[in-house]
Amino acid sequence: MASLGRKMLIDGEVENSNEGDVRYDFDLFVIGAGSGGVRAGRFSAQSGAKVGICELPFHPISSEVVGGVGGTCVIRGCVPKKILVYGAAFGPELEDARNFGWELNERIDFNWKKLLHKKTEEIVRLNGIYKRLLSNAGVKLFEGEGRVVGPNEVEVTQLDGTKIIYSAKHILIATGSRAQRPAISGQELAITSDEALSLEELPKRAVILGGGYIAVEFASIWRGMGATVDLCFRKELPLRGFDDEMRAVVARNLEGRGIHMHPQTTLTELVKTEEGIKVRTDHGEELIADVVLFATGRAPNTKRLNLEAVGVELDKIGAIKVDEYSRTNIPSIWAIGDVTNRVNLTPVALMEGTCFAKTVFGGQPTKPDYVHIPCAVFCIPPLSVVGLTEEQAIEQANGELLVFTSSFNPMKNTISGRQEKTIMKLVVEAETDKVLGASMCGPDAPEIMQGIAIALKCGATKAQFDSTVGIHPSAAEEFVTMRSVTRHVDAAGKPRTNL
Amino acid sequence: MATSLSTPKLSTTLTFQTLSLCKKFPNFPSYQFRTLDVGVFLSSGRWSHSFLRCRPITTTTPRAESTNGAGSEPARNYDFDLFTIGAGSGGVRASRFAANFGASVAVCELPFSTVSSDITGGVGGTCVLRGCVPKKLLVYASKYSHEFEESCSFGWNYETEPKHDWSTLIANKNAELQRLNGIYKNILKNAGVQLIEGRGKVVDPHTVNVNGKLYSAKNILISVGGRPFIPDIPGSEFAIDSDAALDLPSKPTKIAIVGGGYIAVEFAGIFNGLSSEVHVFIRQKKVLRGFDEEIRDFVGEQMALRGIEFHSEESPQAVEKSSDGTFSLKTNKGTVDGFSHIMFATGRKPNTRNLGLEDVGVKLTKNGAIEVDEYSRSSVPSIWAVGDATDRVNLTPVALMEGGALAKTIFANEPTRPDYRAIPSAVFSQPPIGQVGLTEEQAIKEYGDVDIFTANFRPLKATLSGLPDRVFMKLIVCAKTDIVLGLHMCGDDAPEIVQGFAVAVKSGLTKSDFDATVGIHPTTAEELVTMRTPARKVRRSVPEGKTDSEIKAAAGV
Repeated sequence: MASLGRKMLIDGEVENSNEGDVRYDFDLFVIGAGSGGVRAGRFSAQSGAKVGICELPFHPISSEVVGGVGGTCVIRGCVPKKILVYGAAFGPELEDARNFGWELNERIDFNWKKLLHKKTEEIVRLNGIYKRLLSNAGVKLFEGEGRVVGPNEVEVTQLDGTKIIYSAKHILIATGSRAQRPAISGQELAITSDEALSLEELPKRAVILGGGYIAVEFASIWRGMGATVDLCFRKELPLRGFDDEMRAVVARNLEGRGIHMHPQTTLTELVKTEEGIKVRTDHGEELIADVVLFATGRAPNTKRLNLEAVGVELDKIGAIKVDEYSRTNIPSIWAIGDVTNRVNLTPVALMEGTCFAKTVFGGQPTKPDYVHIPCAVFCIPPLSVVGLTEEQAIEQANGELLVFTSSFNPMKNTISGRQEKTIMKLVVEAETDKVLGASMCGPDAPEIMQGIAIALKCGATKAQFDSTVGIHPSAAEEFVTMRSVTRHVDAAGKPRTNL
Repeated sequence: MATSLSTPKLSTTLTFQTLSLCKKFPNFPSYQFRTLDVGVFLSSGRWSHSFLRCRPITTTTPRAESTNGAGSEPARNYDFDLFTIGAGSGGVRASRFAANFGASVAVCELPFSTVSSDITGGVGGTCVLRGCVPKKLLVYASKYSHEFEESCSFGWNYETEPKHDWSTLIANKNAELQRLNGIYKNILKNAGVQLIEGRGKVVDPHTVNVNGKLYSAKNILISVGGRPFIPDIPGSEFAIDSDAALDLPSKPTKIAIVGGGYIAVEFAGIFNGLSSEVHVFIRQKKVLRGFDEEIRDFVGEQMALRGIEFHSEESPQAVEKSSDGTFSLKTNKGTVDGFSHIMFATGRKPNTRNLGLEDVGVKLTKNGAIEVDEYSRSSVPSIWAVGDATDRVNLTPVALMEGGALAKTIFANEPTRPDYRAIPSAVFSQPPIGQVGLTEEQAIKEYGDVDIFTANFRPLKATLSGLPDRVFMKLIVCAKTDIVLGLHMCGDDAPEIVQGFAVAVKSGLTKSDFDATVGIHPTTAEELVTMRTPARKVRRSVPEGKTDSEIKAAAGV
């Protein structure tokens, strides 16, 4: 391992190559045992490095002093969120069952506490699995808060308050991010997604501020469980950054499922009253809520890391600046995952962690590849996309674009009577026939999009999609049977025809 | 029709048209699909997992039509450019597309009925009326019982146990089938295809008789599909087939399903989900012959865990009716009784009887399938056939592909061969299966050295529900080229998941391409792009030597 590390130095990747004799406690010390940190730690250890990692004690709601092995994804993000989405999706599913011949009670009870308990059990289990992954890989786990005290030194404050300093040839910061609250009067009455995943009581009336994926996911979760939901967001449509056409589809579906949409709306004040939290909007509306959720963005967890002291550069929102190999301006300090605010997704943190381990301990300098990263929004029904939006394609592509869309009634709805279309879209570069972007909003979209993502990643053409035989009857087969162009768009961005 | 044919010999009257077509297809005589190879191959399994290849045929014998005197016959007028017999998936597709290319087209079809026979059928065909669509609707309905179970762990409580009303489901299903039947008729109408109701019979290479009326056509397309086949054993008249099973007046209390193919396992799941007692009798040790062996094992286990009882290596010998109205099934191993229904899912046969095909010289296989070349042309040049009637790969999307290719070949001056490589397919068992490309067994046979990646895990939903549901996935990679040869999955959403991967497999993408793709988290599908270490490496030639280093390389650490 040392030799591997040295090889890296000899390769000129690190300039302080004459410190070959210095002995460190660890080859790598990782601060933060979330998706990226655990992956980087494990893979580095598997390459022969001696690895230490520190993480705050486990708690479902994160703070400066609590966290837990597994990180946001496992404890306060993807996993618990998806569990709640599963739970919520049963609500409308059960309604759909009636026309399939199922006789159910008029009202079906939902027991939030039971689901919450099951969810907590599951994340505790996963927390244990992650700890075992680390120990099986030979990574030494320290419970406590890590701070950088030198280019090669990390100080860990243990639970009893004692501090120990470990030296390491490389330090990796993988501390992730945390939900932010806007400065609104009465903001302390609101909660963030952390708390929303662990509420004691299911709200009957919820107001959500924000139009990002977290906002629409919680809107769907609470609505599915029977709550009244008001969703307030600044733009005309939710999910800024996604394809505009798909944003409109999501907005329509959320509305169709009974969520009250408040576009171009922000909150001005929260007041505690007898009936609940009184929420005032900038349109002068007043809403009463049991729970107000701020889903207004997340900020990198860099405040208490002492990074300024060693000179690690941050950007203006506090994200750690790194190069293409995830290295900071201090050559022995690296950072991956949400703390670098590149593409804040678990699989991207995993990719960055893997590339880090390859680069530093595998003798194989590897850059994470950010082209065509697929992603999903688990609203109900979900949205999933890969590649460029139509708007991005218009900006980036040369010449004409062909846009193929398909809007259809999913087969299940023909019996259930649910009025909701599934929408799919392919954006194709006319000259090369390359599929530049794919999106779908409808049941199973995230599952369907994964395979499509491989095709896009490898530059598949529309002809290759067309030559693939469909799987019948499925929703996904629509992706390979889109025969006629919905519209042509030229480079200037103006629709030429509208068929 | 001017010339009546008494022998199956090709008529000279049709040479003018066909020859002029052939002139446009320089490849026609030199590249032929070797139907024999394909036939043999397909008979070993229902699906074509293989990359079937068109091989140049070295024979120098020219095809019949090109030896006949060109231009010796005057052009003649026909009622239609194309007359299609059978308005199922393939027939409707071919007819519509042909009409879109400017051809005058008629299609005949039997009157609508949920159960097919010599005198009933319906526009839409098997897929819409007696296959994919009604089957999937019943699968949706039956899946709910599992969802009710799951939902309990997710906090949902039922004061009273959900009960299923079969008649509501069947009524709603039939309303949907009527609607689709209407849509299909409209599609034909809007494309300008003339629909003629009745049974079509080929009178000569250019004439079709429908209910006594003769129609002449430059080309005739046979797309009559297939029908369930029940072996002739004592008491087989008491058995139902899949047509009847989709439209029973009441739900079975206890049903015997004979057969181990996809229809058998799909109906086993349907009736089990609707809380019938289900017994499946299979001749072999496992269900789904022709599928990847590990998938066969896995789906059998999962179905058994949901309460389906399998009787393996049992062949049916007789069905008997008892005095209480129930049925018993006698097999080589014993007798099981008390069945309210006995269903045979013992295969399907092409609907080619009494179509007049043999009389005009159309060659059939011994199974009754129409023999066609790679352009779907029969031994009579003016007669073509697509879909299940040709018993190539009996899937709706394949019939669509064949129909589309046919219309291009005949009417768009674009000779097009259907491409049978990497056809994905699904089985809507519970849990369902999706697959594309080769099975492990086929891959080893064809490529020798392959790396097998597998995953067998409990999905997130099951860890919460506590139910024993699992997911199995498998990638088969060519060791030499890194190309993904096959992909198989059994578990929730498998049919939806596999479609996108089918594009990748069809495009010949490699395992590295899969690895370079970022996962969508948290999904089941992401497992297919995060398989780092092969479960095993199969090497035909050299014994395993450098496994360690190779595994490490594959693990990407």
